[in-house]
Amino acid sequence: MGEDGLRSFILACDFQVDDVDRMWGWLQKHHDGLESIGAHHVAMYESIWEPRRVLVTIGIRQSRSIRDVLRSPAIFEWFDISGVDDIPPIFGGEVIEKIDFGPPSTQEHIGEIVMGAMSSVDDVAALMEKVHDGLERFKERGLRKIWVYRALDDGREVLILQEIGDELRARQWIEHPDAAAEWMTNSGLGAYPTRFVGRFAHLMSIGEQE
Amino acid sequence: MFVCLCTGATSHAVDEVVANGARTSRDITEACGAGGDCGRCRRTLRAIIEAHPEVTDCKSKNTDCKSKNIDCKSKSISR
Repeated sequence: MGEDGLRSFILACDFQVDDVDRMWGWLQKHHDGLESIGAHHVAMYESIWEPRRVLVTIGIRQSRSIRDVLRSPAIFEWFDISGVDDIPPIFGGEVIEKIDFGPPSTQEHIGEIVMGAMSSVDDVAALMEKVHDGLERFKERGLRKIWVYRALDDGREVLILQEIGDELRARQWIEHPDAAAEWMTNSGLGAYPTRFVGRFAHLMSIGEQE
Repeated sequence: MFVCLCTGATSHAVDEVVANGARTSRDITEACGAGGDCGRCRRTLRAIIEAHPEVTDCKSKNTDCKSKNIDCKSKSISR
């Protein structure tokens, strides 16, 4: 998968901040910085098991270069205000498929339990086949949605966001994931963060198109 | 994953450098530039080194390496 050309994508970053409310407040007040990198939405998930750990996704409307976005002052300023000395790895990718078992996600989904995994898999196409074959099982295990993104810089790298009914089911899913959920076993190595379990905390739209 | 925002280096690229023998963040900077500007990605670079199979294998066989006087760091490994 190439990285060049005008395209929409998302950035996702899993890291620990000094003060979650302060960081989100800062983002709300700095739309200009976010607009400068072409952001159209920011979503934040807050860990339920690890204090001050957040997963943030930023949707980028159109950009020619993901690297230009990443090295922009707005990104560094965001990490600075978050109290981050060591800049965490950032996933940059495109959506492959959004599978919703219920109504599409909206603001009403604030507070829902979300599990996030960034991982390398053997074959994304084969993975998606297994996911489709396992949809009924996933539903029975309490999953409400599975959103799959593929990295722009590595065709085998994925970000999977899964919404699940409650914390107990999330714990059961983590301890005994479905065999098709290959992404659940490979996260946490090298640059990949450990599996994230949190609540959908905030959603912010940016720019006139929202 | 993009690990060095200054240079745009990815975990995939850094992994290749480690596979070719880099064993410190400085080695990685010399090989591909990652970590050489603001330096705020060095923790991630070290995590990539630690997670690399060749490094893990080397550590688990550390006694053998020492007794056989094998210099793991300078050993060039290609995939």
